[in-house]
Amino acid sequence: MSLIEPLQNASEDALAEGVQASSRRGFVRANLLGNKQAIFGLAVLAVFLFLAVFGPWIEPYDPLAKTGPVYAPPSSAHWLGTDDFGADMLSLVIAGSRVSLGVGFFAAVVAMVIGGSVGVLSGFFGGKTDTFLMRITDYVLVIPDIPLMIIAAALFGRSLTNIIIIIGIIYWTSTARLIRAQVIAVRERVYVKRARALGAGNSRIVFKHVLPQVAPLLIANTVLMVAVAIFAETYITFLGLGDPSTISWGRLIENAFNGEATINNAWWAIAPPGICVTIVILALTMVGQSVEDGLNPRLKVGHLSVRRFRLRPLNGKLNSG
Amino acid sequence: MRTRNVVGTIAAFAVLTAVVAVLVGTGTAGARTAKKESTGSASSSGVLRIGTVNYIDSLNPFNYIESQAYNSMMMIYPQLVQYSPGYKFQGDWASSWKVSAKGKNWTFKLRPNTTWSDGQPMTAADAAWTINTTVKYKNDATAVVAASLAHVKKAIAVNPTTLVIQYEAPVGNVLAQLEQLFILPQHVWQKYVGTNGKGLKTFHPELHLPIVSGGAYTIEQYEKKGTTAFKPAPNFYGPKSNSQGIALTYYTNSDAVIADLKAGQIDWADQVPFKAVNAVKKAKNVVVTTIPGSETTNITWNSNPVKPKNRELLNPALKRALSMCVDRDQIIDVVFAGYASKVESIVGHISPLENPRLGPTRYDCGAANRMLDQLGLKRGSNGIRVVAATTGKYAQSEHPMTYEIVTPTSTDFNMDRSFAIVKAGFAKLGVKVTQKVGGDATASYAIETGNCSGPVAKQYTGFDIAMWDWVGYLDPDFMLSVVTKAQWCSWSDTGANNPAYDKLYNLQGVTVNPVFRKAIVYKMQKIVYDNFYYTQLTNHEAIDAHAKGWTNFHPELNGYSKLYYTSPRQS
Amino acid sequence: MRGSDYIVRRVLYALVTVFVAVSLNFVLFRALSGDAVTALRCKQCSKAFKEAQRRDLGLDEPLWVQYKLYLGNLARFDLGNSVPSEKPVRGELIEPIKNSLPMVALGTLFAIVVGIAVGVIAAWRRGTAVDKGGLYTALAFYSMPTQWLGLMLVFFVAGAVGLPTSGIKTATLGLFTDASTWELFVDRLRHMILPALTLGLVLYGDYALIVRSAMLETLGEDYVLTARAKGLKNRTVVVKHGLRNAMLPIITLVALSLGFIIGGAITVEYVFSYPGLGLLTVESIDKRDFPLLQAIFLLLTLSVIFFNLLADLLYFRFDPRVRT
Repeated sequence: MSLIEPLQNASEDALAEGVQASSRRGFVRANLLGNKQAIFGLAVLAVFLFLAVFGPWIEPYDPLAKTGPVYAPPSSAHWLGTDDFGADMLSLVIAGSRVSLGVGFFAAVVAMVIGGSVGVLSGFFGGKTDTFLMRITDYVLVIPDIPLMIIAAALFGRSLTNIIIIIGIIYWTSTARLIRAQVIAVRERVYVKRARALGAGNSRIVFKHVLPQVAPLLIANTVLMVAVAIFAETYITFLGLGDPSTISWGRLIENAFNGEATINNAWWAIAPPGICVTIVILALTMVGQSVEDGLNPRLKVGHLSVRRFRLRPLNGKLNSG
Repeated sequence: MRTRNVVGTIAAFAVLTAVVAVLVGTGTAGARTAKKESTGSASSSGVLRIGTVNYIDSLNPFNYIESQAYNSMMMIYPQLVQYSPGYKFQGDWASSWKVSAKGKNWTFKLRPNTTWSDGQPMTAADAAWTINTTVKYKNDATAVVAASLAHVKKAIAVNPTTLVIQYEAPVGNVLAQLEQLFILPQHVWQKYVGTNGKGLKTFHPELHLPIVSGGAYTIEQYEKKGTTAFKPAPNFYGPKSNSQGIALTYYTNSDAVIADLKAGQIDWADQVPFKAVNAVKKAKNVVVTTIPGSETTNITWNSNPVKPKNRELLNPALKRALSMCVDRDQIIDVVFAGYASKVESIVGHISPLENPRLGPTRYDCGAANRMLDQLGLKRGSNGIRVVAATTGKYAQSEHPMTYEIVTPTSTDFNMDRSFAIVKAGFAKLGVKVTQKVGGDATASYAIETGNCSGPVAKQYTGFDIAMWDWVGYLDPDFMLSVVTKAQWCSWSDTGANNPAYDKLYNLQGVTVNPVFRKAIVYKMQKIVYDNFYYTQLTNHEAIDAHAKGWTNFHPELNGYSKLYYTSPRQS
Repeated sequence: MRGSDYIVRRVLYALVTVFVAVSLNFVLFRALSGDAVTALRCKQCSKAFKEAQRRDLGLDEPLWVQYKLYLGNLARFDLGNSVPSEKPVRGELIEPIKNSLPMVALGTLFAIVVGIAVGVIAAWRRGTAVDKGGLYTALAFYSMPTQWLGLMLVFFVAGAVGLPTSGIKTATLGLFTDASTWELFVDRLRHMILPALTLGLVLYGDYALIVRSAMLETLGEDYVLTARAKGLKNRTVVVKHGLRNAMLPIITLVALSLGFIIGGAITVEYVFSYPGLGLLTVESIDKRDFPLLQAIFLLLTLSVIFFNLLADLLYFRFDPRVRT
């Protein structure tokens, strides 16, 4: 928040310069493919994406059907054993990737749309609009995220759509601040001023000149936001506030907790979903960081970037938009 | 140097945190030790340590919700009568009783020379005061207790050991009702009556320790979400506690109860989760007891005759067909690990007046499908059956058979799994259901009843189907009452409104002859079954587990007798 | 800007935020909660009983009257009564807060100490296997869902080392017999270890990354290079110059994160049945106990505002750039 604004602004200016420096077309090649960390992250994500999309053809069993005894240990018939219902764990984990990644993606998009719009409006128009929007952002920032999410999920009901919207609505603030800073920097560029002088309208300038400049940063931010949203889904679901009829990794963890997996010594019902979440978050973090590092060469030598450590929503969210 | 200051601050901050941790950690503990030293008892052996997942929310009989609170109040307050191990009535504070010829006056002879734990005499005047005060404010502050004093005119203390209760009409189940009445010390409670009785509801005896008790135990330590200590009351009139005391500890998850039981940290788990039973049975030092339980699970159908939508669900034939494709054996296997049986009657297996000639509802999806075909419910292109449009006062347009099922979160079994099995069964019949998680009992109930402060016409119009459970009693009165119109917005979760049934309910209440009453009660159960207000699913067993060194448990008396706590002994 | 002006402005700003938060809090709960009492299902509750309860709680008044009432009560630290129990909310909060604080403090302390250690070592050995190993381990813990890590600790660690997995103390220790203060303290500490460890493990990654970053930045500064050039020992350089100067961002960011940790401990308390504020939150949601929930939420929001202000002031105190 305000206290690190000097630092914040400093690094955001640096970021803006970084964007300016690299041409957009070469961006992906230069920043992602040349980076081992990013390639690894992308590869992992590709595997999970494949599982999510082609799950129905890969799953050995119907994940909703009882296909074995309750808590059967791993065997050749059930590679990851069965859960408290007698459903095949491997099929469940594959099916879970669909919802977890889906919620993560769509919630991040919601956050990106809200945050991006607020950021662009605020940065581009400045003045009273800016003050007003940033005040709101400040207030939303001090609301404790996890408690609010839980309360909202409890109040609004538990459909998947609601969860996506709730997560999106809570996590747009950091995007808004980031984009605002970037837009302010772009706004002052010579070519933008020239376009304005030539009589281009606001919307034309925004869509033609500002948005393209902001896009890479927005995408990097969204990638990190996907991780935040996947986390958030597991928390909401774990506390019994998720959509009960869908299978997600969060739900599988909850099933293990509620189904007394510990007493029944069924480690195979507890471990896999959590391992999947960990791997995916790790991969997303690597990709997101690589993009950010690519945007700002200075960060590579360890320039303090507050944003990078704001990933985790639950514990010690460094709330510093 | 500025930098030094920063390091200093960090260090100071760390030290401060540590100090806070230590202070808070010891603060409460230190206070407690001081108190303990003053009471000081001999050794830890002989204290019965109970682990539970239900907590004592209050010790005020006018204002509580949890069943654990009811059980605890039973231990500290005198009752006139209670159940014996064979579920016969026996005297608690009353040693004998008789009823007048016309059945309206009941005279109770109380045990002599009894005192409250603070030394004040405990006499019939306390009982008369409790009853008369409850009756006086029955529409407001004392409503919770007043139900057990239905039809009571007044109570008179003839002398310190004689109490007369006058009824407006002869009542068939007086003892079963009075068994639920806790007698309060008048000298403690009187000052809270005020002008309107409201203070009775807001007084919290558990915050004024030690509690003035007249029962088997006194309470010197109360922690809502922690441990509550029951100390045997030296001047208790009844059979004394065999243990040196009871320590009841609340756990939020049953895993931990079992872990602590196995580790010898507690002696008794009053409820073992179904999924854990088989694992617990393998433990060497633990004895698992299963007894027939009083809890039944069901599919609750909105039976409000004027419900505006999905009125096809009022048709018993349709509900019968749907019920026939619910695999109850799978529910018993997956949800209850085998520790449950099928049930048909609303009163459940616990009641000696359960009608054995209902159903049973067979599991036969093929027959169910044919029944639905005969009802003219054709399958649409997506396989979901379609209800044809109707005309008349309650006209509805053509619509597919897709419904929402409301489920509460506060059940002691895995509701999500139960729902999944029902859903799979309905799907085979071309009926699609989705789960709507309603929150705890309170919140789910609100969904069923609708806005109870609004117009009656709007009540019981917001849901179609729910899944829930009922905890029955020995006497079927309570279970039979829940489908009466009078219970709308109080206990009714179906919105059933059947005047003929309600008439029978009132009749059984004032039928003193047991044979006649049984006939009426059987008939009422058949009405509930035939109309499918509920599809009764399972009656699960009550499972508890205790450490090997202990004997004399009476798990069947949970909520029925002081023996539940006083009987267990360490061998 | 003059220093006192800055402080006054920050404090005023925090106060305005408090007021907005307080009002939002009212709107959020009153507008969305419906009518808590209609939902009250209790043994043998009659209609009359419920209506009486609604009158007592002032729920039949118009909204703005309720708002005025709410503000007035708040000014007297009266947070209302919990709906199901009718006991004052303030009283219901004290015990859970007292339980949560030491556990959260222990976990945070663990995270700070380990985080700083790992961060410093990683920065010191930049680019080596030690750096990479430390960094990726931190990232891995940081990527684990908290509740899952808790469950894994219960499953694999608790049994092996004999630590309790539930509650805050051994039920009967010192209840019917005497136990020394020391025994009681040790017992409490044993119950605190696993939840605090869970919290600490998922947190330390954050701190380690910050510390590493800040260290690398200062280690790249000219005066550090000069110190190195002067031939000072590596350790001296790292500790004396690097760490000290890296403390500024670390301390402010730690202060910022503190505001969110209690709210974040919800799933930890849920897994370990630790009777703190987090567990209370979950329970009051299930019970639709809105007055209690409202108070918890307000408390958590205020703690965030407070720590933000603290971070602001610390930053001001230690960063000369703000004080020009």
